[in-house]
Amino acid sequence: MDRALVVWVGAALALVFLMAMPLAWLTVMSVSSEAGTTLGHYRYVFTDPALAKSLWNTVVLAFWVGLVSIAIGAPLAWLTARTDVPGQGLIRGLVLASFVTPPFLGAFAWEMLAGPNAGLLNKVWRGVTGSDHPLVNIYTMPGLIFVVAIYTFPYVYIMIANTLALIASDLEDAASILGAGRLTVARTITLPMVLPAIVSGFILSVLQALALFGSPAILALPAGFHTITTQVWSFFHFPPKIEAAAAISMPLLGATAVLLWLQKRLLGRRGYAAVGGKGGTRRRIALGAWRVPALLACLAVMACAIFLPYGILAKAAFSRAWAQPVGWDNLTLANFTFTFFEYGATRAAIVNTLELGVITASVGAVLVAVLAYVTNRRLVVGHQIVAFLAFAPVVIPGIVLAVALFIAYTRPPFVLYGTLAILFIAYLTKEMPVGYGQSDATFRGIPPDLEDAGRILGAGRLRVLRDITAPLAKSGIIAAWCFIFIGVIRELSASIILFTPNTKVMSVVIFDLKEEGQFGAIAVLGLVMLALTFVTVAIVQRALGRDVLGARE
Amino acid sequence: MSAVRLKGLTLRYGGVDVAAVDNLSLEIGDGELLALLGPSGCGKTTTLRLVAGFLDPEAGEIWVGDRCLSAPGNVVPPERRRMAMIFQSYALWPHLTVAQNVGYGLRFKRDLARADREKRIAEMLRVVQLAGYEARYPGELSGGQQQRVAVARALVVEPEILLLDEPLSNLDANLREEMRFEIRRLHEAFGITTLYVTHDQAEAMVISDRIAVLQAGRVAQVGTPDALFERPRTRFVAEFIGKTNVVDGVAAAPDVVEHGGVRLTVAGARFTPGAGVALSVRPHQIDLVEPPGAPAPNVFAATVRRSSFLGDSLDYEVTITGSDLVLRVVGPATRRLAPGQVVGLRIDPSACVPLDGA
Repeated sequence: MDRALVVWVGAALALVFLMAMPLAWLTVMSVSSEAGTTLGHYRYVFTDPALAKSLWNTVVLAFWVGLVSIAIGAPLAWLTARTDVPGQGLIRGLVLASFVTPPFLGAFAWEMLAGPNAGLLNKVWRGVTGSDHPLVNIYTMPGLIFVVAIYTFPYVYIMIANTLALIASDLEDAASILGAGRLTVARTITLPMVLPAIVSGFILSVLQALALFGSPAILALPAGFHTITTQVWSFFHFPPKIEAAAAISMPLLGATAVLLWLQKRLLGRRGYAAVGGKGGTRRRIALGAWRVPALLACLAVMACAIFLPYGILAKAAFSRAWAQPVGWDNLTLANFTFTFFEYGATRAAIVNTLELGVITASVGAVLVAVLAYVTNRRLVVGHQIVAFLAFAPVVIPGIVLAVALFIAYTRPPFVLYGTLAILFIAYLTKEMPVGYGQSDATFRGIPPDLEDAGRILGAGRLRVLRDITAPLAKSGIIAAWCFIFIGVIRELSASIILFTPNTKVMSVVIFDLKEEGQFGAIAVLGLVMLALTFVTVAIVQRALGRDVLGARE
Repeated sequence: MSAVRLKGLTLRYGGVDVAAVDNLSLEIGDGELLALLGPSGCGKTTTLRLVAGFLDPEAGEIWVGDRCLSAPGNVVPPERRRMAMIFQSYALWPHLTVAQNVGYGLRFKRDLARADREKRIAEMLRVVQLAGYEARYPGELSGGQQQRVAVARALVVEPEILLLDEPLSNLDANLREEMRFEIRRLHEAFGITTLYVTHDQAEAMVISDRIAVLQAGRVAQVGTPDALFERPRTRFVAEFIGKTNVVDGVAAAPDVVEHGGVRLTVAGARFTPGAGVALSVRPHQIDLVEPPGAPAPNVFAATVRRSSFLGDSLDYEVTITGSDLVLRVVGPATRRLAPGQVVGLRIDPSACVPLDGA
């Protein structure tokens, strides 16, 4: 019983500090004023024309991102899962790259590619056609939707590819033998089975777009419009309107909770999409003459998401002036020297980011491992509640979490604002669901029999943990560590609210450098961030012995 | 001595009213192989896990010889029970080699020198015919080989008690039959007191010295395979062990049961006339004879309704003339009866076994 008590007290305390107290403060703040309780902030948020417009912009952005993500992700998933399109490994690798690319880096890169004046693509266009007008202007709502969607479609891809991989050809053959033609089979069997995955992918994409801060801040603000997230951020500028920030956070929190509930319900009821993975083989459809065009279409998407953005970042990192043509006289390492040695803020930020990344990942990996072990082995009464709580932070968008933490920890009894600790709490909370999901799958894959077999042969509980459970869980725990680490080093939307001059992290500094027009340094930091990410991804793939995309549910 | 005594074991899962194991008492003799047999959900695996110490009973005691392993407030953990177990899933550790798997239990025998340990592993692997596989990982072995590693791992520690949880259910039919004899052979060679859980009555009959048939968390009957087959005490046991005909009737005399005009004489019975009685009559104990000319005790005319050829015998469903009584009868393959044909049945009074709880 005392064992259970420790876990309970621990879980309860963690919950209070990480979620309950901040969210309670957020709610209180949204209805308080000097004159007492009020609904005035909500009235202001929903009736002020500028704010109402930002709410509407968010809806438009999220909806279109969802649709575009399906338009890109679904065909790509089908091509790689069900056809003989060449270069499948390459395509999957590039989808993975898009999945882990911090969206705000993509937005910066596209600013350099398709800004109306200096954008590379527009300069090339003007040079070739002699036209005065730019080819594309990224500082528009469609531009923003495009840049967000090319880094969000992997959610749709993962859902659909994993579902298609589970649908045996038998199921389709069973319909064919009963007389259904090819199109009828697709319409009546395959599509309905994939539909939950499509809708689910749509919802996940919408959620990403709703919570995103970086890309709208980079592309929407110059275009002269706000989304909820940028609006929240601007409320923190002088004079701060924290109450309004709290009030405008509420619809975002509510929408996220409702959408996640919908997705869970949808997948729960239509769970049959995952049934029947056993036995049946999966045949690939021969594309014939369409093989090469299909590959080119995939690569065109990847050019937008990976090749062009990474290329321009690399060019900017090694150039004296990023907008000038590549050449010996334009080649330099000065940007690296500047970033690493001359500009004080970047070095401190890299140190802070790594420190936070390692600490959060280490504490987080241990925490989720303990939680997952306790819930999987049902060591305490009410283990289902522990599992629920570990997943709960998924409903809180980063910027909302940051507002809540800001309110909760700028006042006694816990004044954490201005320390790295508040960032640590934010990151730990935000990454907990991902880490827990990974750990849960790990322990689910270790049958209790393996532990019992050790016990009956003479090993005590701890000895079994050391000899059997730990070695078997090791790779899964390493993977959880990596997932948390990747999440932390790219985090922007919570950091942008919670940082102070002494606690800047890389993503925040990139954002600052943009104000100063230091594109070379941005590119260097961006490449460092990407390098860290890809090394970590490589470690995960090695630890799990499989592709990261398949791991997601 | 390693006789096992279970006294009044009781366990409920998660506050359910129905007990998984309900006041269960059982004795397993030193060196005996006892099978716990029953359908799924009868509590046989729960009983085994209680004996192993993976579950704590709510009430009751577990004794091995004069050592109390479990009593309320005093439960010995599994690692100190000197038992070994073979799991349905085999539970081989995928990150350890065959030799490491087999040798794991020996790590906890402090008085055993390293050289002796390796000698015992090698010897054990030879016994289960896996010499040369020491460095393989379980994932690289066939199902039958994995099974033998599990057996070796359990036997190498020379346990006082060996527990087996449906160890053959993952094997294909041929291998399963082979392994039945193998387990029996190993039991005779090592003489370890063994508790064997299975839902397969044929397996239990081949392997065990005695069988305990479990029903709803209680022992329905314990006995040798012969005794259970010949003298089942309840309808449940009669139907679970082998095929049988259960005839529900009323006692017409102290040793006669009547069912719809059919009068069966029962050997050595003392019924209260008028009481309801159920009889078990095994199909192979009903003799097929010529249709009777005149009425005789326990001889009836019957019509064949259905016949199935089983290769070495024929399985008939027959209706006794002038009644609704349908019986299963086994006949020799040398003489085939067609549906509609009229035959005679002779049922020896000693083949009629009265069952409790009519």
